[in-house]
Amino acid sequence: MSALLSVHDTTKVFGGVRAVDGATFTVEEGSVTALIGPNGSGKTTLFNIITGYLACDTGRVMFAGKDITGSDPGRLYRAGLSRTFQQARVFPQLTVEENLVVAGGYGWRKLFTNRVGRDDRERAGALLEEFRLTSVADLLASELSYGQRKLLEFAAVLMSSPRLVLLDEPTAGVNPVLIETMERHIRERNAAGITFLVVEHDMGFVMRLCDPVIVLDAGKPIFTGAPTDVQSNPLVLDAYLGS
Amino acid sequence: MRVPSILRGGGFVAVLLLLPLLGLQHWFLNLLVFVLMYATMSSAWNLVGGFAGYPSLGHAAFFGIGAYSLALMFKDPVLANGYEPFFVLPVVGLIGALIGWPIALISMRTRADVFAIVTITFLFVVQTLAFNLHDLTGGAQGAALPVPPFPAASFELPFYYVLVLLLCLAMGLTFATMRSKLGLSLVSIRADEDKARGIGVRTTGVKVLAFSVSVGITAMVGGVWAYYEGFIYPQFAVDPLVTIAMVLMTFLGGRGTLWGPVLGAVILEAGQQYLTYQLGAVQLYLIVYALIFLMIILLLPRGILPTIEDRLRQRRRRQRADAATADAALDLTAGSDPVTTDHVDALGGGTT
Repeated sequence: MSALLSVHDTTKVFGGVRAVDGATFTVEEGSVTALIGPNGSGKTTLFNIITGYLACDTGRVMFAGKDITGSDPGRLYRAGLSRTFQQARVFPQLTVEENLVVAGGYGWRKLFTNRVGRDDRERAGALLEEFRLTSVADLLASELSYGQRKLLEFAAVLMSSPRLVLLDEPTAGVNPVLIETMERHIRERNAAGITFLVVEHDMGFVMRLCDPVIVLDAGKPIFTGAPTDVQSNPLVLDAYLGS
Repeated sequence: MRVPSILRGGGFVAVLLLLPLLGLQHWFLNLLVFVLMYATMSSAWNLVGGFAGYPSLGHAAFFGIGAYSLALMFKDPVLANGYEPFFVLPVVGLIGALIGWPIALISMRTRADVFAIVTITFLFVVQTLAFNLHDLTGGAQGAALPVPPFPAASFELPFYYVLVLLLCLAMGLTFATMRSKLGLSLVSIRADEDKARGIGVRTTGVKVLAFSVSVGITAMVGGVWAYYEGFIYPQFAVDPLVTIAMVLMTFLGGRGTLWGPVLGAVILEAGQQYLTYQLGAVQLYLIVYALIFLMIILLLPRGILPTIEDRLRQRRRRQRADAATADAALDLTAGSDPVTTDHVDALGGGTT
């Protein structure tokens, strides 16, 4: 395996707070890597830096061998790096199907074609089927339950055939049945070749699904390793529970 | 039942084309000319303010830019047949769009209320320029355009038909936008621009394009207006009230819809002219405008058409739900004895 994503010595300061403080880590191609850490340890800030939503103060981010530091989120998405948000973000005024179609990462010429063309319908249809959303395809996304929106957001970022998907707390606020569903989808998609980087607080979910696990504390990784080793590591326990 | 959009559009255009054949009086044709102007501009504004959700208050600046562009092109007041100014309208539109492009690139880095303030600032900058660039605009003395050599009996008609054409252009572009991925992209920008950016929507390009097209159409209307008026002054060519009217009409009819801005323009412009006649030349109609705006915000926050659409959708859903309960009732009794549809209502009522 080789590194699909690597973050080098990245720093981001907000006022007096060093949200990310010289973080360096890599995500191997084909893995489901977890990024965990106590609240305020810089997980979401790192996500924002990697996906181009925030500019870092120092450091570099490499994706698939290219320096992508400071790239536009849209360009990264079209290049195969996509993300979901902590609060499921879908477009409430669009139908479920349109929510998928809009995420197709189109070039300029495609923008002047049909809103939902035949091949779009096919591609979206396959995803809707996979995520069991076919029956609600024509509903407005505002009519979905929160869990369904989370699924929809996940399904939407798969429209562009990404290589790396960053999931920001995929199970937060979701019922246990749906957590299992989410887990299954991640596993299936991982088997099909997509690499995942997951921020998650549900430790059971992380232990079952992720390898390796990166533990972040005060803006930098303090541990990287197998999930079984995380719980026994004194540094990690110290970060979470305090000494 | 839904009327196919092609029939609706065709019928609308046919009515517009045939209307002047009824032998209407001049005051009424004059009113129609202004209704068409505002319908076109509201439709154009809707592309940015309705679909992309960027509430531009600077559109009147482009109305003025169009008016002065035409005035500058026809400083020499000899016209052969009077149609020459209409033929250069595409150039006027292009000028508006080209000026709009960098303005959009800069101002659309801001959003919502800040964007509104930035664009209205642009409007006042253009107005100040119009007052002070005497060589170009004639300043406060105004600028003259050539007198259209049309016969007095049918003076308004050429303007009327050109405006019908411009309205068709604006509505056609709106329709095409709604049917394309461009429209889908614009709506996603209105809903959540940051999210849209993260799923590969070309946010900057799409909204700047929408703005340029929108102000290009506005500039063309400004050109027609200048030629129609014959003499233009900065305070009327670059008038915040023109912007306010566009916004108000679009909000009243329904943002992000095809027919909403047109409906809003018909109601408000006709209403305003009527009120002006009734209340005299005083600007009392402005107070009525403010009242209408308050009423919209209180009673129809989403505009007339979306509200009606919502009601219809809810009713359809209720009917569907009723039908479903009736079907369930049918299934329950199907085994024992055949039920005719006449009984369904009674059964549905009985089981719920």
